[in-house]
Amino acid sequence: MTKAADGAKTTAPASQSAGFKNTALGSFISRYAETLALIGALLVLVLIFSNLNPRFATLENLQNLLNQAGLPLIIAVGATLVILIGSIDLSVEGVMSASGMAFVLMSANTRGGTDFGIWAFVVAITIGAALGFANGFIFTKVKVPSFIVTLGMWYVGLGIATIMYGTETMPFLVDDNLSTWASQINFGLPNNFLLAVVVAILGALVLRFTSFGRATLAVGNNEEIARGNGLKVTRTKIVVFLLAGAISGVAGIVATIQLGAANPTVAAGNLFITIPAVVIGGTSLAGGKGGMLGTVLGVVLLTTLNNGLILSGVSPNFQTAVSGGILVIAIIATAWSQRGRLRISK
Amino acid sequence: MNFSLASTDEQRENLDSLKRKLGRAWQSVGALVVFAAMLALVAISTPTFIGNGGITIIASATAPIVMVALGQAMVLNIGSIDLSNASITVLGALLLAMTLGPLGGLAPVVVIIAVTLFGAINGLLIAFTQVPSFALTLGTFGIFQSAALVVSGATTIYVSENGGLISVLFQSGIAGLPFTYLLGVLVAVLAWLFLRFTRPGMAMTAIGKNESGAIFSGVKTRWLKVLAFALSGFMSGLAGIAIIAQAGSASPMGLGSDLLLPGIAAAIVGGTSISGGVTNPINVVFGSMTVALVPIATAAIGVESQAQSLVYGIVIIVTVALTLSRSSNSIVK
Amino acid sequence: MTDKKVAKTPVLVLDHIEKSFGSNKALKSISFSINPNEVIGLIGENGAGKSTLLKILTGIYQTDAGTIEVNGKKVKFRNPRESVASGIGVVHQEQSLFTNLTVAENIAMNSGSGSSASSKFGFYSWGSIFKTASKTLSTIGSKLDPRAIVGDLPFVDRQMVEIARAISVNAGSGGCPLVILDEPTSVLERHETEVLEREIRKIKEFGSVIFVSHRLDEIMRNCDRIIVMRDGELVADRLVTDVTEAQLFKLMVGHEARAVSHVRKGLDNSEVPAIEVRDLNRSSKFSGVSFSVRAGRLTAIVGATGSGREDLVRAIFGAEKIDSGTLLVGGKPVKNWRIPKAVKAGIGYVPSERKVEGMIGGLTAAENVTFTHPGKAAVGPFLIPKARKKIAQGWFDTLDVRPNDISQELGRFSGGNQQKVVMAKWLNSPDLRVLILDHPLRGLDPGAAQTVNEQIKLACEKGAAIILLADTLEEALEMGDEVLVMRDGEVTSAFDLAKDNPSTLDLLERMV
Repeated sequence: MTKAADGAKTTAPASQSAGFKNTALGSFISRYAETLALIGALLVLVLIFSNLNPRFATLENLQNLLNQAGLPLIIAVGATLVILIGSIDLSVEGVMSASGMAFVLMSANTRGGTDFGIWAFVVAITIGAALGFANGFIFTKVKVPSFIVTLGMWYVGLGIATIMYGTETMPFLVDDNLSTWASQINFGLPNNFLLAVVVAILGALVLRFTSFGRATLAVGNNEEIARGNGLKVTRTKIVVFLLAGAISGVAGIVATIQLGAANPTVAAGNLFITIPAVVIGGTSLAGGKGGMLGTVLGVVLLTTLNNGLILSGVSPNFQTAVSGGILVIAIIATAWSQRGRLRISK
Repeated sequence: MNFSLASTDEQRENLDSLKRKLGRAWQSVGALVVFAAMLALVAISTPTFIGNGGITIIASATAPIVMVALGQAMVLNIGSIDLSNASITVLGALLLAMTLGPLGGLAPVVVIIAVTLFGAINGLLIAFTQVPSFALTLGTFGIFQSAALVVSGATTIYVSENGGLISVLFQSGIAGLPFTYLLGVLVAVLAWLFLRFTRPGMAMTAIGKNESGAIFSGVKTRWLKVLAFALSGFMSGLAGIAIIAQAGSASPMGLGSDLLLPGIAAAIVGGTSISGGVTNPINVVFGSMTVALVPIATAAIGVESQAQSLVYGIVIIVTVALTLSRSSNSIVK
Repeated sequence: MTDKKVAKTPVLVLDHIEKSFGSNKALKSISFSINPNEVIGLIGENGAGKSTLLKILTGIYQTDAGTIEVNGKKVKFRNPRESVASGIGVVHQEQSLFTNLTVAENIAMNSGSGSSASSKFGFYSWGSIFKTASKTLSTIGSKLDPRAIVGDLPFVDRQMVEIARAISVNAGSGGCPLVILDEPTSVLERHETEVLEREIRKIKEFGSVIFVSHRLDEIMRNCDRIIVMRDGELVADRLVTDVTEAQLFKLMVGHEARAVSHVRKGLDNSEVPAIEVRDLNRSSKFSGVSFSVRAGRLTAIVGATGSGREDLVRAIFGAEKIDSGTLLVGGKPVKNWRIPKAVKAGIGYVPSERKVEGMIGGLTAAENVTFTHPGKAAVGPFLIPKARKKIAQGWFDTLDVRPNDISQELGRFSGGNQQKVVMAKWLNSPDLRVLILDHPLRGLDPGAAQTVNEQIKLACEKGAAIILLADTLEEALEMGDEVLVMRDGEVTSAFDLAKDNPSTLDLLERMV
C-alpha cells in the first residue's frame, strides 16, 4: 500500500492549480504548442536556406523537396503506429526491398516474365503485411523484443529480395508512365507526396475514430492498465505491426517506381530519415504520445533540412549525420525531464 | 479444484526447470556444438577444405567478427545494445589507413584511443541522460557512418606506407591461425577473466541481471555503463585493425562495413542474453567462428550466397526466441 | 429520498468468506452486508486483511470458501472484469487512467470490455461517448469537460474521473452500484479532501460506498457504519453513532498496551551521533524532519500509509533527493548525497522490495553476500573466489540459511533465507555505521524473523546505529531505544523508551 501511495503522488502534475488546462481549450493550446514550434522551426529553415541559395525558394525546388519527402512520409506513418505502442520497427528497409522486388518482377519489366498488372500491387503489399505480421507475432507470442525481431526481419527482407533478384541483370520497369508516376505533378504537388498525405490522413483518422486506434494509444500509454480494462492488447500490437508492414510494402512499390527498377538496396537510408522524423514530430519513443500531424511536420522538416543543406553546397555525405544527430538531440531533450537516480533505462 | 491447480502449477514448474536447464546447457556448450556441427557439414561436402588451409580461412574471416561480437557482448551484458559499433569499426579502419603513413607505429595507438572515446561518448550520453540505448546508438550510427563517408570522400583509402607494421598481424600467425584471430582469442580470454574475477566485471553482470539491485548495493552504475560502451568502441577499433591487416585498405562500403548483424548474431549464438547479465566471451569466439563459417558453409552445401542475409536474420530471431528467459508477466517492448 | 430504509435488496452480502495463501490464513471467516445508499468505513492495521478482502471483491483473488451476493445475485468473480460487470467500481490508490486519452474515454472503459459498448464496426461514436460521460459526470456533480485530456488535469480532478468511472458500472440494470474507495485521501492535500467528501455524499444518493482509510476522523465523518478488521477477522460492525474513536483504536489493536520489558541504555549525549538529520524536506513527501541516532542505538519510526517514513529513510541512504535541510553522517554534513557515497560512509539499507532492490537474484548467494563489502574476498579490484566461499559459508552457518548451498542462485531461495543473505551483505562490512531496515520482517516465517531480529540486536551491540521501519507497532516497541511517530510527512512525537512507556494505542493515536 505504501509504495502505491508514493507512486500515485509522484504522477500528479505539479500544476495543481492549472484550472485552465481542465478545459478543452486549455488542453488544445498546450497540446498544439509543440506543433506550432515545429512549424516555426520549418519557417526559420526556409528563410535561412532561401537566403543561402535563391534556387531554394523556387516552385521547382519546393516540388522537388516534397517529392523527396513523399517516400519517407509513407514509411513514417507506419513507424508512428509502431512507436506509439512503445516498440520500434527497424525492418522497414528490408520489407520495402522485398515488396519492391516482387512488384517489379510481377510487372512488365526488362527480364520478361508475365505482367500481372494490378496483382503485382496486391502481392507486394501482401508480402509487406505478411512480414509485418511475422514481426508482430514473434514479438507478442514469442516475446522477442521488437528491436531484435525487426532487426532480424530487416535482413530477412533483404535476403528475400536478393534471392528473388537472382543472378540476372537488374529488371527495369518497362511502362514509362509507371516509372515516372512518382514525380508527376497533380494539383501542384508531386504524386508520391499526395499519396503520402493520403496515407497520413488515413492514419490520423484511424487513430482518432476507430477503437483500434484508441486502443493503440491506450496500450502505448500504459499496457498493464489496458490489459486490466479488457483491451485486446496482443491483437492490437499484432495489427499495428501488420499495418506497418503493409505500409512498408506500399513504400517499397513507390521506391521501386521512383528508381524505375528493382534492386535490393533500393530502400537504403530511409530508416535514418524516418525514425528521427517521427521522434522530432513529437511521438515519444516510450509510446502513447504523438500523432500523424507531428510526423508529417517532422518528415517535411528533415527533408527541408537535407534539401537546403545540399543546395547550400553541403555534401550529401552529411545526411545521415544530420538525421542521426537530430535523433540524438530529440531523444535527449525528451528524456531530460524524466531523469531520476533510480530510473532504469536500457 | 485445488488439485488441478497444483498439477498445472507443477507442470509449469517442470517446464520452467527444463527451460532453465536447456538455457544453461546452451550457454555452456551450445556455441561449440553448433560450430562443430557446421564444420562437420563443410568437411563432409568439401573434404579437401580442411587440408587446403580451410582453418586459416575460417580464422581470418572470424577475426573482425569476433572483435565486434565481443564488444557487443560487453554491452549486451549490461542490458543495452550498441548499434553503432560496426560504423565505429569502419571509421577506425579508415582513420588507421590514413594515419599509418604519417604516424607509423603511433597510428594504431591514436586510432584505438579515438575509437574508445567514441564508445565512451555513447556510454556517457546513455548513462547520464537515461535515453534508450538502441535509439541513441541508432543516431550515433548515422553520425559515424557519415563521418566515414566524409573522411574518406566515399572512396577506398589505401595505406600509403608502414603497412607492414599492421599486415604482419594477418600474414603471420601460429599453426595456421593468423595473429588477428589470436588477438581476438586473447581479448576474449581477458574479457572472461575481467567479468569473472574483478569487481567491476561482476558489477556489470549485476547491472544486466538487476540494475535496481545493483544501484541499491552501491554500484556506480553510470560509470560502468560508460565503461561497457567504451570497451565496445575499443574492440571495434581492434576489428578495424584486423581489417587493415587483411586488406591494406579501408572503405565505407568495403570489407567490414557489414559487421553489425554478424556481430550481434555471433554474440547471441555464443550464449549472450539479450536481456543482460549473461555472457561468456569464450563462447562468443565459437559463435563468431560459426557466423564466419556461414558463407563458406552455404556455398559448400550449394545454397546461393544471397541467402546469407536471410540466414542471419532467422538465426538471430530463433536464437533469441529460444534462449530468452521470459516470465509471462513481463512487458516486452 | 426517504430516510426509512425499506427492506431493499442488500447491495453486497458476504457470507463466511475465507482465503488462505499457503499456510497463511489471510481471511478467517468474514460475513457482513451492505445496504443501498450506505457508506461503510473499513479500517484495520496493516496485515489485518483489508486489501485481501478488497482484492476478492474486485475479482483479483478468488475465495476459498463462502459466498458473495451482489444486488441479490450470487456471484463468483474470476477476474476484475466480472467484478466490474456486476456493478462494483473501485478507485485505487495508484492511478489507473490513460493520461493520453480523454476523460470521456476513460470513463467509458468501465462499461464492458474496453470501449466495445460505444463503437459500431470498430468506429468510435464520439457523440454518444461524450454524452454518456457528461451524464455520469453530472451525476456526481462534477463540472469537468469530458473532452479534456486526462494528462492535463490536476490530481484531484483525475480522482474525480476515477470516481466517475467507478460509478459508471452496471448502473443500467437498476441495481445499486458499489463504489470502493481505497485510501483515497492518503494522496490528497487536506483542502482537497472536502471535495472528495462532497462526492461521497453524492454517490450515497444512488449507490453505496466502501471507504477505506487510516484517518479515523474522516471515517467517523463520512460513514454510516464502520467495519473493523484485525488478524483476518471481522471484529466489529458498528453504527458510527454507537462508537467512539477511542473504542475504534482498541478494536483495531486488540488489547491494551502491553508492558514491554527491555532494558534500555540511557542516552549518552556527549557522543557525536552516527547519523543526524536537521530540518529535512522533500516536497510532498516529508518536511521539517529532525532527529539523530547514536552508535549502538536503535530508532524505530512508525507511521501509516503516506506518513513519508519510507521516503525519509531512502533519502538518508541517498536513494531519493533531498530538497532542503542537512544530513550529517558522523557529525559531518554531506552534499550531493547518492547511494555509492552513503555506502562508502558506512550506511547500509535493507529495502522492503527485496527481490527488486535488496538482492541480485541471478547471482549466487556467495556472490551476493560479498557483493558490496567483499572484505577478504577481494584484493583491490580482483575477486578471490576461495575467500568468497569461506566468508559466505561462514554467514550461511551463522544464520542457518537453508538450503546450505552458497553456489545456488539467490533467486531460488525462499524469502526468509534471501533476507538472511541480504542482511549478511551489509553485516559483512567491517565498519557498519548505520543500518536502515525497511520492513525487514515482511513475508518472513517466524524462524527467519527471529534470526533477523537477533542480527539486528547484534549489529546494534557492535556499535551500528539502527533505523528500523517496523511492520508492527509491537515490533517497534520491542526493538527500539527510541520511537518516532510520523504522520503526513512530519514527525509528530518522539518517545525515549528508557524514560517513557507508550502503549501501542499511544502510538496509533499519533499516527492517524
